[in-house]
Amino acid sequence: MGNFLVWVVWVGAAFACLGSGVAVISFTNPFYSALALIGNLGSLAVLYLLASAEFLAAAQVLVYAGAVMVMFLFVIAYLGDSAGVPFGGGPSWVAVGAIVASAAILVEVVVAIGLKAGGALSNEADVGAAFGSPGEFGRLFLTDHLLAFEITSIVLLVAAIGGVILGTQTRSERELDAQEAHGRA
Amino acid sequence: MAIQAAWICLFAPLAGAFAITVMGESITRRTAAWLSTVSVFVAFAGAVVAFVELLGKSAEEREQLSTAWTWLSTTNLEIGMTLLVDPLSVTMMLIVSGVGGLIVLYSIGYMDGDPEERRYFAYMSFFVFAMLLLVQAGNFLLLLAGWGLVGLASYLLIGFWHERKEAVDAAKKAFIMNAFGDATMALAFFVLIWQTGSLEFGDVFARAEGMSSTLLNLVALGLLGGAVAKSAQIPLHTWLPDAMEGPTPVSALIHAATMVTAGVYLIVRAHPLFELAPTIQDLAAGLGAITLVVAGLIALVQTDIKRVIAYSTMSQIGYMFVGVGLGAYANGMFHLMTHAFFKALLFMAAGLVIHHLAGEQDIRQMGGLRRVMPKTAIAFLVGSLALVGIPPLSGFFSKDSILASALASGGYGQLLFAAGAAGALLTGLYTFRLFFTVFLGQPSQLVLDRDHGEPHHRGEGPWTMTVPVAVLTVLAVVGGWLQIPDVWHPFGDWLHDVAEPLVEPSVAQDLLASALAVGVALIGIGIAWVFYGARRRDLPRAAALRDILEHKLYVDELYDAVFYRPAVWMAGMWRRTIEEPLIGGSIAGVSLGARRAGSALGETQTGYLRSYALAIAGAAAVLVVVFLAVQ
Amino acid sequence: MDGPDLAWYLIVSAILFSIGTLGVLVRRSPLIVLLSLEIMLNAANLALISFARLHGGHDGQIFALTVMAVAASEVVVGLGLIVAMSRRRLTLDVDSFRLLRG
Repeated sequence: MGNFLVWVVWVGAAFACLGSGVAVISFTNPFYSALALIGNLGSLAVLYLLASAEFLAAAQVLVYAGAVMVMFLFVIAYLGDSAGVPFGGGPSWVAVGAIVASAAILVEVVVAIGLKAGGALSNEADVGAAFGSPGEFGRLFLTDHLLAFEITSIVLLVAAIGGVILGTQTRSERELDAQEAHGRA
Repeated sequence: MAIQAAWICLFAPLAGAFAITVMGESITRRTAAWLSTVSVFVAFAGAVVAFVELLGKSAEEREQLSTAWTWLSTTNLEIGMTLLVDPLSVTMMLIVSGVGGLIVLYSIGYMDGDPEERRYFAYMSFFVFAMLLLVQAGNFLLLLAGWGLVGLASYLLIGFWHERKEAVDAAKKAFIMNAFGDATMALAFFVLIWQTGSLEFGDVFARAEGMSSTLLNLVALGLLGGAVAKSAQIPLHTWLPDAMEGPTPVSALIHAATMVTAGVYLIVRAHPLFELAPTIQDLAAGLGAITLVVAGLIALVQTDIKRVIAYSTMSQIGYMFVGVGLGAYANGMFHLMTHAFFKALLFMAAGLVIHHLAGEQDIRQMGGLRRVMPKTAIAFLVGSLALVGIPPLSGFFSKDSILASALASGGYGQLLFAAGAAGALLTGLYTFRLFFTVFLGQPSQLVLDRDHGEPHHRGEGPWTMTVPVAVLTVLAVVGGWLQIPDVWHPFGDWLHDVAEPLVEPSVAQDLLASALAVGVALIGIGIAWVFYGARRRDLPRAAALRDILEHKLYVDELYDAVFYRPAVWMAGMWRRTIEEPLIGGSIAGVSLGARRAGSALGETQTGYLRSYALAIAGAAAVLVVVFLAVQ
Repeated sequence: MDGPDLAWYLIVSAILFSIGTLGVLVRRSPLIVLLSLEIMLNAANLALISFARLHGGHDGQIFALTVMAVAASEVVVGLGLIVAMSRRRLTLDVDSFRLLRG
């Protein structure tokens, strides 16, 4: 019975994930795309839970869906009309090539999975309840993976600085903006 | 001592040529001329020393080899810079340096005033060096080197007045025809190396007897090819008349006395090989006979004074070929020596005439020069008589010895004798046609304009020109007295050990040959007197015959059609189909291709973000496959 | 383990990844491109987590967390670029940035 439930949840989450993914790339309106992505992230969180990665599921929802997507939505709102550009256009070979490349990657990965790990994927390790818990993460970050931890923090710092720099305007730009606003008014 | 003298003899002219070349314009033209002359006379002195010393030695010691250094050294073959001093080479050394020295001296006067005198004298010294190298070579390779170098010197000197297109063409023609001979000789040498493993004379002659007759014939044929080309015998004769474009002393030295006789020297030197291939030796004699008759016929209709003498040279060398082809080596060499004397004399006398008439060479413009240039007339007469073979002048002894040898050589020899006799008739005819036309009769318009019918008050030329002519006149008279058959034959004895004759005519044959030859020659002179002498009867019409002879039997035209035109066509075709598109085009093609490749590669820089992303995705796909495969 | 085998997770991850690739290559709006990029990163995360579950080790999960952090930073910078572009009145069309042409 429990297994059946797990299966149902899993299938539902998987389809939601894939469906929202398709939705992201199909909608013309970027706002809808962003919302579809939020849905994608949520279903992914469910899948993470099913794979015993509780902390990550929580982090996914908090960081990704909560912070990153909100940023996206802010920017989309800021951009307004100019955000939406229809897809397609450009040389025809790009579209064809894109489809071909994607299909190729898909096929390859599926094949890889099927062929290589046919037998190996069945023997999962036994994991305790503490697997995927925050305590484990904290311990690992401060012992085995300290370097990754520190570098990640630097990356975040750099990103923040970069964001600030990209956001500032030089004096001349400010004057230009003021002129335009004046002209429009 | 003889060896050192031989080395000095060889290198003195080279040093002279080198000095003139290096010093260039820092010496006067006159100095260059004298430098060259002195260097050749030094060579003559060396030759005399060598000769005297060899005289003092017994027969076995008369062959001396001296190797200065090893020139070529491979596992199978070693060739040294070897000089050979033996009676044959010393004879040639004396002739080349002696007559050569006289001619170079003569050139000082003849070429006086020419702006490029230094170059001329450098070339002349170089030629003497090359000819000496040829005759002193101790092995076939060095001989070939000298052979080629004289060909080069001949080319340089024929084309000396390089602003004249005819001269340049003649030089090229001479060189190319001689190149054919060089090629056949080289092939013969290859066979010799293959079969005998050496090119030293002694080794080759000793081991040659083991070769198959086909190969021996091929070798002899190859050597004969070179000899025929160098000596302008039929069929490789057409370059010699054209070579008269060069200055007259050049014609005297190279195309009368020395270079063209190199073929005869080669046959005598390599006579063991020829004796092992008797068919080829007979062929040599036959070619000589044909040449001597044909050349004599053509000389009958020539109007250029030098060309008459050139055809005469061709004809006389034909006699020499008959001589050595029949195995009468000493007689052939004897005729070579006397011919050098009287032919050089004739050329130089003709040169005096040409010089006096400011470059005119057409005999139809000349006449009655006897009154204006009496001494030259005498010299020319002496030379002509010697050439025709009137006793007691030199040509009589030498030519008749060859005819006697022909008579003594069986049926084939008698056929050659007949040809020789006919040749003697023609010789008398054309020689005295020339003499009578130029010197006798009424002075022509040109002569009158020049001198008003009076002898030139300043003499007939500078002493540098008249003294050599005088010396050669004396030699043409007495030179034959070195060998009076059956009575006194030091010349034959001298060369006996080097080249033993195959045939010794009897006394009766000697007398018969001489009588016949002289008689026939006198008939020739008589005919010439009738048509060209004082009374000048009209010539018979015979238009067709005259046409053929004037066109030199159309051989030039034949060679033009068979060799020259196809070669030019082929060269043009190759240029159009291969050189321009492929070789020329490939260079342009390289640059064009590089540019095209560059612009083609530039097409990938589209600037399209999406295409770059596509490339990344594609590469990732490929990499996955690679990783899977490598697993 | 209850539920589907690990292989299924990986299949989902693969399909998601190709969807993301398609989006990156086909869409012209930089915003949508960024969103598709996020999809790709998430697909990779899913694969990492699945393998972590398979081996019982935490390395995959640590990696996934790091990926999340990096993705966040990248989004910051990317959105900053887009905002700067719109400030300068540039068309927000990927195809129009062709200065590298040549």
